Amino acid sequence: MTERKRVRTSGEGVSRRRVLQGLAAVAAVGGTRAAFGAAPAARSGTVTLQYQTANLTEKQYEPVWKEMLARFEAQNPNIKIEPILVARKDHWTKFVTAAKANQAPDVVAVDIATAAYNGYLHPLDDLWQAEPPSFRQAWTADAIKTASWKGKLYGLPSWGGIYGEIYNRDLVKQAGLDMSKPPFTWTEYLQWAKRLTKEGQQWALAVLGGKTDSTTRMLLMWIWSNGGEAFNADMTQATFASNPKTLEALEFYLGLDVTHKVVAPGAVNVNYLEQTTLFAQQKIATMRNAYWGVAKVVGDNPAITDKIAVAFPPMNTGTKVTMATMAADSISKDCKHAEAAWKFIKFVNDREWGIKRALVSNWMPLRTDLATDPEVKKDPMLVQFLEYGKVARAYPLPHPLWADIAANDIVGAVQSALLKQATVKDAFSKLDAALNAKFKEI
Amino acid sequence: MERAGGLRRERWLGYLFVAPMLVFLLGIILFPLGHAFLTSLYREAGVNIRFVGLGNYARLLDDPTFWNSLGVSVVFTVASVALHLVVAMPVALFVNGLRRGRTTLRLAFLTPWMVTPVLGAIAWVWLLDPHFGVANYLLRSVGAISENRIWLGEPGLALGSIVAVDVWRGFPFIMLIILAGLQTVPREEYEAASIDGAGALQRFLYVTLPHLRYLLVVATTLDVINTVRTFDIVAVMTKGGPVNATEVLPVLIFSTAFQANRFGPAAAIGVVLLGLLLIFSTLYVLLLQSERRERRI
Repeated sequence: MTERKRVRTSGEGVSRRRVLQGLAAVAAVGGTRAAFGAAPAARSGTVTLQYQTANLTEKQYEPVWKEMLARFEAQNPNIKIEPILVARKDHWTKFVTAAKANQAPDVVAVDIATAAYNGYLHPLDDLWQAEPPSFRQAWTADAIKTASWKGKLYGLPSWGGIYGEIYNRDLVKQAGLDMSKPPFTWTEYLQWAKRLTKEGQQWALAVLGGKTDSTTRMLLMWIWSNGGEAFNADMTQATFASNPKTLEALEFYLGLDVTHKVVAPGAVNVNYLEQTTLFAQQKIATMRNAYWGVAKVVGDNPAITDKIAVAFPPMNTGTKVTMATMAADSISKDCKHAEAAWKFIKFVNDREWGIKRALVSNWMPLRTDLATDPEVKKDPMLVQFLEYGKVARAYPLPHPLWADIAANDIVGAVQSALLKQATVKDAFSKLDAALNAKFKEI
Repeated sequence: MERAGGLRRERWLGYLFVAPMLVFLLGIILFPLGHAFLTSLYREAGVNIRFVGLGNYARLLDDPTFWNSLGVSVVFTVASVALHLVVAMPVALFVNGLRRGRTTLRLAFLTPWMVTPVLGAIAWVWLLDPHFGVANYLLRSVGAISENRIWLGEPGLALGSIVAVDVWRGFPFIMLIILAGLQTVPREEYEAASIDGAGALQRFLYVTLPHLRYLLVVATTLDVINTVRTFDIVAVMTKGGPVNATEVLPVLIFSTAFQANRFGPAAAIGVVLLGLLLIFSTLYVLLLQSERRERRI
């Protein structure tokens, strides 16, 4: 105490006033720094755009997007692109978290209906309409409609995945089957599946039952291939159990595991990663996947490259149908530089990058003028998938709750049926009731 | 008078010095808590957000998913905490009894606790893989199972598997606490017990355990608080599946908020979870206070 008093009287101590002055000075310096911190970027006129899509962390796409970003920045020195690298499975949740904090990345590729419904996206109509017809003609009206919500455009369709049935030629041959005559109907597929299964060692396919929306994608394809529908036309009612064609499809597809045992064990944990790993390791002979799945298995096991064959997914009606997923580039509501973001989106969807995405990363181009491009036509498997695209139905379905329905509700019913906790009919009747209650809330 | 004024000034100065940290702590603890509670009073449908008061809480009472998650959380926490103790105690006794290599072994046993939970969980997913996993291979090799088990694909097995992984990750912390306690037990008491003819079990029951009693209660309380909020292991290994069999409350909060975009109901579940944690935290604080009182006496 004496010491303190002595120091204070000498005028060198820390008085309350001096502390307050010090704090005020720190605050003032902090404030000044904060004020001037943003100044260099503003002064130099450089704009930084954050860019997040589901596939930036995927190996087959990395060389393309890195080159694409470098080229864009070289051509536009005042725009810097900051890629946000998030694994596919965490892509949506990361986006929602950022959007809720008003910090969503500027350019994103997310589920349009859900994101637009929640107000996470910036409408693109003005920017789109300002483009010349020659640019706009590259997209079909259907593609633009799929990227719209409530009559407003929220994304520019960029790339997609068209689904086919991918086979391992060697395993098919070993089973005494002829790859030049792939199964066309469900009955033929089941016959093949039984021949392709060697109990405990190898199975015909993997049923996807893990807790992601890929489970739902598979289910929908089987439903459509039987002429069934999971929902009514305006998506106000679920019809999984009430539509006889749908129920029949569900019983057949899930029965491949539950009844026929031609499916790799552990279906409730299987998603794309597990499915492609099983195929790459030749544990399953066939997989339902898009062209990118081929790149994935070849990346996992290059020795399988020449063993891959593709055929149209089998059906139970006379009408061919498969699925085409669509990724569209959108501008988030938090983007402060919509013009720059639109410029970047147009660049990303330029012909050159569309072709590179298709040839190097196996992502399907959604511009109509690319499907007939001579470069694209050089890849016969790509052409085959594009051909299937002519009878493909769009995914994701245009519902604001789709992300949750596809990854949780439907998966729950699938798992319940696969684990025989309920019959297929009971599991999906329960699902219908739950979804219909949910639909009433919005 | 001058002394009293000096003390007052000193107190003020003290407050001023801690003020920045206090503001920081209020900012990172009280503000988010208040915000979470406020969020729990609203329900959103897209961009439309409406005030529903305690409606989200009322709805939880009728929500079977919530009750299932609460049940799973209780089973997971009770099983994990009990097994942490069951595994940690013998390991601590063993390490404590060593004359050489105690530090090395202590470090070795601590390894699972030092590994980032997400990385540990990813490694376990592959170890337990039904097709390529080492677990099935080893168990088949020794004849413990006749065919590959789907560890994360059957409800009971999946819950058992995540408990096992949590025990692997969590027991070292308890072991460390017990080990610290064991080192405070006076050696003379063991010697006296031995002279009286007490065997190893009797020495453990009548000398070791009474000395560890307080420490075990504190460790268990802390462990309950830690375990009930487990998210990473479950999210990575099962995402709460199959059929919600492993959906502990933090995973339900995550899926409700970030997959279903229902932040109000998710916040309500979060507040309920916070209430549960507060019960155990209060118990922990009361225990600490009673121990301090005992020491003073």
